[in-house]
Amino acid sequence: MSASAAEADLSEDEREGLEFIRETGGIHQSDFWKELDISSRKGSRIAESLAGQGLIQREETVYDGHNTYHLAPAARDLEFGLLMAGDMLSPFIGEEEVNHNSDAFSQWLMNLAYEEH
Amino acid sequence: MAFEELLNDPVIQKYLHELVGPTGMPVAAAPPDGEVTDEELAEELGLELNDVRRALFILYENDLAEYRRVRDEDSGWLTYLWTFHYENIPENLREEMDRLLEALEERLEYEQTHEFYLSEPAGIRFEFSEAMEQGFQCPETGAPLEPMENDDMVNAMERRIAELRDELNVDVGRDD
Repeated sequence: MSASAAEADLSEDEREGLEFIRETGGIHQSDFWKELDISSRKGSRIAESLAGQGLIQREETVYDGHNTYHLAPAARDLEFGLLMAGDMLSPFIGEEEVNHNSDAFSQWLMNLAYEEH
Repeated sequence: MAFEELLNDPVIQKYLHELVGPTGMPVAAAPPDGEVTDEELAEELGLELNDVRRALFILYENDLAEYRRVRDEDSGWLTYLWTFHYENIPENLREEMDRLLEALEERLEYEQTHEFYLSEPAGIRFEFSEAMEQGFQCPETGAPLEPMENDDMVNAMERRIAELRDELNVDVGRDD
């Protein structure tokens, strides 16, 4: 199922939760349900459901001394255009090492400066 | 065809092109639903089997395809059944954004702490110590090396760094 199709089928609570996670850019599950003023059980159910549909990323973590999850917007929401300078893609793609003084990166930076000028 | 939504993104098209190159692009641009063999793809796309295999293995190395091997009971031949995993593209690109941000931050430091000289006719930039070694004369054209401002580049870098940090939700106070 595509992301937009999955989103159209969300319940009111799930939609609100997704909006909230996108607004914060990422939040711990233990703060998520408190901020939304819902029960922890309900918060957990919403987070699980959103993660299951690929709309958010949910990763185990330790926060404030207890085990919880970190909830973040799915990578598909990111602005991948930030990898571009003019019509040139980041020169590090397909490269093992990131060399910040490479000629290819200099070229990319000149494109970037030119584009914004 | 699967993953149409992702493949409509011009950055993603460019990304796949960067990985597999022009000869592999027909393979990368049209992932079928479900499993497919390399022979089927070659036949369907009218490509050399080797070019198809090369593209598939590049996708495999980037977590964008996987295969399982099945032995034909009659002939004893192995068949590779491939599945495309383009759902991993966004995560790969997120990592690329992280790598780009890191490089921008390191390069910004370098740009801000060095002075540069330009050979106008050759279009080559020299860092101060290099320029001095050359006696402030272009080694290719003999033209004098002139001081060069990098403010435009630095400004553009600072803007892109801010945008990337915002997009990737990097804490402003991080010190790693």
